[in-house]
Amino acid sequence: MKDDPTQSGVPDRLHAFSKIFLETVLVAAVGAAFAFAANQISPLGLALTRDYFPSGMMHSVRPVASDELPDVAGTNFRTLFPAQLLAAQMKEKGLQLMDVPRLLQLFHDPRFKKDAIVFIDARDEEHYQQGHIPGAYEFDPYRPEKYFDTVLPVCQKSEQIVVYCSGGDCDDSESAAVLLRDVGIPNQKLFVYSGGITEWATNGLPVETGARNSGNLRKRNQ
Amino acid sequence: MKTCQIICGPIALDTSAVLTRWLLGAVFIYMGLNKALHPVDFLKLLRQYDLTQSYLLLNSMAAALPWFEVFCGLLFLAGIAVRGTALTLVFLLVPFTGLVLHRALLLQSALAISFCAVKFDCGCGTGEEFICRKLAENFLLILLTSWLLAGHGRQLSLRFNSIKSSG
Repeated sequence: MKDDPTQSGVPDRLHAFSKIFLETVLVAAVGAAFAFAANQISPLGLALTRDYFPSGMMHSVRPVASDELPDVAGTNFRTLFPAQLLAAQMKEKGLQLMDVPRLLQLFHDPRFKKDAIVFIDARDEEHYQQGHIPGAYEFDPYRPEKYFDTVLPVCQKSEQIVVYCSGGDCDDSESAAVLLRDVGIPNQKLFVYSGGITEWATNGLPVETGARNSGNLRKRNQ
Repeated sequence: MKTCQIICGPIALDTSAVLTRWLLGAVFIYMGLNKALHPVDFLKLLRQYDLTQSYLLLNSMAAALPWFEVFCGLLFLAGIAVRGTALTLVFLLVPFTGLVLHRALLLQSALAISFCAVKFDCGCGTGEEFICRKLAENFLLILLTSWLLAGHGRQLSLRFNSIKSSG
């Protein structure tokens, strides 16, 4: 009962507070050491010095009518929704955008089968396995080292590369495109399909589940 | 009957305090592990708060916070440095709740919907939730943690005070 501040005088109470504060500092210090060690040991741990967002650190949801919006010719940002805003921001970074009709043309182009046209799925393995554009390569921009060996040679040989993720306000396709550009893939070959797998599937287009070229196709609403 | 009133009251209080400590411990371990097992998802969610332009700082927060929560949860479960742990968690919970509220207000403004209709994954380890519910949960967590900070939950603890009294 001695360290119960409600039972003691003012000096004892101050002493009790300082003890709690000291204990807090101790918990914070040991906890931080534990946390960084656990992250280091964990196979899923983050690399502290890696820039996971080469396309930019800031990703806030801003009011649509904000004055901070970038100035891109021919774009009325004041009427844009977040997904469209993201598409406009990609354009601003020099990334070329692709829409569904053009994507479909490429999908049915004979060069697609020969890897002269390459689709890159910039989502994690779990989402890729659940469904991707048939023939698309898996490339998680947060674990690029796992995919470079497969994806880089294909991208180097290809004529056009289309990168996509989930769509909406997902900007992993942007990160993947910037990452590929940073390792030497020419910018003119790179396109971002901002509608992503969501728009693709919503249009009733085929979705492949499991591994690339598994042949397991499904259509939305099936 | 009078004897029970004298004894049963404190016993009930002690029991609820210990149960609260264990419950909070389990909650923090669960929420921490949820994030620690999906660190990239947590990193992306944390990025949405626009806390910093430094990726080193953002990576450090995303790497450390989940495991730090697990650590605090373990201390609560074991009953080690309970008040220090409680104060640490209050220091984390209060500003984080402020950030969640700020982001909810931004979303509300961007989507032009009512405040309680705002639903998003705040990175708390419980997935997408309606903001009013999330704020109520956080308020409850702060309240219960503050209760432990006041010195409750001593029973069945390994070392309630990690720093011994000098007097």
